Amino acid sequence: MKETPSQTAGPFLHIGLMPDGIGIAPLAAPSPAEPVTLHGTLHDADGAPVSDALVEMWQVGGPWARCPTDAQGGWRLLAARPGAIPFVALWIIARGINTGLHTRLYFPDIDHAGDAAMARVPQDRRGTLVALDEGDGAYRLDIRLGGEDETVFFDV
Amino acid sequence: MTPRDWTRHPPACTPGYFSSIPRAPRKGLIPLDPDVAALTGPVFGARDIGAMDGDLIRNAAAPGEMAIGPRIVVQGRVLDEGGRGVPGALLEIWQANAGGRYRHVRDGYLAPLDPNFAGAGRVLTGEDGGYHFDTVMPGAYPFPNGPNAWRPAHIHFSVFGRAFAQRLVTQMYFEGDPMIRHCPIAATLPSAEAVAALTARYDPDHDRPMDARAFRFDIVLRGRRETPVEAG
Repeated sequence: MKETPSQTAGPFLHIGLMPDGIGIAPLAAPSPAEPVTLHGTLHDADGAPVSDALVEMWQVGGPWARCPTDAQGGWRLLAARPGAIPFVALWIIARGINTGLHTRLYFPDIDHAGDAAMARVPQDRRGTLVALDEGDGAYRLDIRLGGEDETVFFDV
Repeated sequence: MTPRDWTRHPPACTPGYFSSIPRAPRKGLIPLDPDVAALTGPVFGARDIGAMDGDLIRNAAAPGEMAIGPRIVVQGRVLDEGGRGVPGALLEIWQANAGGRYRHVRDGYLAPLDPNFAGAGRVLTGEDGGYHFDTVMPGAYPFPNGPNAWRPAHIHFSVFGRAFAQRLVTQMYFEGDPMIRHCPIAATLPSAEAVAALTARYDPDHDRPMDARAFRFDIVLRGRRETPVEAG
């Protein structure tokens, strides 16, 4: 059998995926014992903020979480303080995104020299995946769907 | 995990659907090794589902009230590419009301809100991958994409299987709807076969007589393309 085709999540994904606004409890995201904050912005190829997206995070051995983007394209997620695995996986859906986009956030302070995915990324694009350590357990990564500094997306 | 069959999915940039143009990556996707792609994901269970989450007709209605619109049951199975049912898959669903209006701050369509309908629900698949939920038939509605564009009646689905690579968001259309062939978003699909895969079939065998019509929609997730071998 063949995989069911994807379609865009559209502009109203909050209804189904963040239904607390309409009185249905959202899916419980486990809170990590030693949390770190991951945040950033999401922009399109023209540099406009993407304000109707959802960013989902899966961390190996850590939590799952999701966050809708705000009017400035901002998102914020709690991850577990990373151990040996240098990344969290991110998945982005929105109006205009026909098939969900897979990318990663790499922690700048954890060695990713041996990471198989990073090894496939051309040297000059690796920086789009590495977060900035802002101190106090906060990491920032701005994601660009297109343009000169287009973020690396993976065929997962 | 088998590689994703991209002939099945819309390309990122589909100029007939305007919103895709500035949101489509142009530099190509970088393939990951299959073992990396097979990372297992979060597991959701019965504790994540409320008693009314699969009944959109009543889950946002005042006591004794129900949503307005043609009553339907949507049912089917979540399968892997080997045809085996996927138990414990979480489906999150959202839709417009019977007039084509979403309960969302950014939806300003003329059609009125239904005070007894939110348009959100979720269900888990059973042991055989089967699921069902009760709702009302959503209405068609216009959207900004050139001088005159309409969405066919549709229900949004978000699916969690077992692996991150199986994560899927899609839309279900209804058999016989003439709006499908005029829709710029349905037109992003690469083939008539792909459109058919998203089109639920009227399924009178599962109707609830004198209550609701049934539509069947099976969902296939990636993985296990080999012929399934039943244990025992």
